[in-house]
Amino acid sequence: MNYYFTYFIAAIGLFSFSAFFALFGVYAERKISAFIQDRLGPTETGKYGSLQTLADILKMLQKELIVPAAADKWLFMLAPAVIFIAVYLGFAALPWAPGLIPSKTNIGLYYIFAIISIETLGILMAGWGSNNKYSILGAMRSAAQIISYEIPAGFAIIAVVMIAQTLDLQVISAQQGILATEKIKFAGFWDVSQIGGLFSWNVFRAPHLLIAFVIYFIASLAESNRAPFDIPEAESELVAGFHTEFTGIRFALVFLAEYSMMFLVSMIAVILFLGAWNTPLPNIGGVKLATWTTNVPWGILWVVIKTLGLVGVQMWIRWTLPRLRVDQLMNLCWKVLTPAAFACMLISGVWRLWLM
Amino acid sequence: MTLMRVLFYLMSFIAVGSALYAALSKNLVRSIFIFFVTLFALAGLYVIALADFVAVTQVVIYVGGILVLILFAFMLSGRETLNVIEQHKGKFINMAKVPAVILAALFLAVIVNIILKADADNLPWVKQAIAQKNETTPISSTIDNIGVNLMTTYLLPFEAISVLLLMALVGAAHLSRKEGRA
Repeated sequence: MNYYFTYFIAAIGLFSFSAFFALFGVYAERKISAFIQDRLGPTETGKYGSLQTLADILKMLQKELIVPAAADKWLFMLAPAVIFIAVYLGFAALPWAPGLIPSKTNIGLYYIFAIISIETLGILMAGWGSNNKYSILGAMRSAAQIISYEIPAGFAIIAVVMIAQTLDLQVISAQQGILATEKIKFAGFWDVSQIGGLFSWNVFRAPHLLIAFVIYFIASLAESNRAPFDIPEAESELVAGFHTEFTGIRFALVFLAEYSMMFLVSMIAVILFLGAWNTPLPNIGGVKLATWTTNVPWGILWVVIKTLGLVGVQMWIRWTLPRLRVDQLMNLCWKVLTPAAFACMLISGVWRLWLM
Repeated sequence: MTLMRVLFYLMSFIAVGSALYAALSKNLVRSIFIFFVTLFALAGLYVIALADFVAVTQVVIYVGGILVLILFAFMLSGRETLNVIEQHKGKFINMAKVPAVILAALFLAVIVNIILKADADNLPWVKQAIAQKNETTPISSTIDNIGVNLMTTYLLPFEAISVLLLMALVGAAHLSRKEGRA
């Protein structure tokens, strides 16, 4: 029975983590946007406005749940739950530290890739269920965008998988540090199996993965509907896109899903390209920095720091770049990212055969 | 009743129930969304059968691809077209349904016959595989096997399918192009 009990603890823990992260994420987003636009951001509630998002969530919980008269009631009510659960399920297969993973499956990466595509369905449900032209337009744009950008993201992931030769996220993580069971070479010539640290991360093991990382990162921005790819929500044209009609706790769930998605895609990027829970500090002669900083507590720390760093970059990009038009969006996806991702995949094959 | 068995019956019940709803519902959009539940329950059944790769592929292709495509086709067609289908009422028994009933009855007869004749509990090839230890365990990785087989034994079908898909892609691109001067 203890066995099942651990599962419940892990599930509840992950849920509270994503809720806590959304609170923190909204606050960070406001402060970062304020900094970029030379404003102050929230200052009134709590010290430096730190309780602002908590106050917001309390306000949202008290709001009335309005269902539009012409809406398809069931689809409308279930949509936020589907959107959030789709993202939340993805957290089940993410490794946090050596030996610490909620569900160790052979095909963890493929599973997460599948789960992300379910979110599209939730968004379409919300758009159709609301029975509102802005919602449906937003949902259509979102689905078209997510489906298109899955292709470059998928090929960038395949480029990594061809180097790593596995879909097990824990094995992919272990390969990028001193715990690797095979020989790790920096850029294909310098054996760093014992040195570890920064040099054994995937982006440095095979330098073309740096391009794959950028492709994946851009595509993941589009998949989480973040600016500059936020035409599904385009406030100036569509009010708020697919979540126009949602109020109270349902709206909160959609927001929770968006921030969880940001964390999820960033963490996948960290696991695949930036060394997962491995330390950036190498072993230098007798100073065994990598050996000292590779264990469970340090692992969690590294993975969280790296992921929050990427989330920070996502926010930075959102408040810096203007929104892309639909044709620019599709041009970027099909004429730039997809061919580049194909090239990365080809190089990966050659690299694996001749240089590893 | 082990937990596995409970899960199996639960998933089968969800799959059959949601499939019935999808087939019987007059609200077409809801049928599509409930079809998603059917596909998900089927994926669960595949996992119980230790075919985890097939389960995830099912979700990627059907849920992420085909279902979204159906919804797109749906939402891009006008409301009038949909209303015609939704208001299509007829008597429960009428002549137009006779071929469908015959087909369904024949199919049911075939399935029942197969189940009775197969004797699934002691199939010779299953017994042979167990005796030779040639079986899949819950922790064994299935993808290596699939990859090697696709690239060796089943290379010709694999390539034939890829050519077929390429043809479909070229055809779609051709159809969606604006008419030129030619």
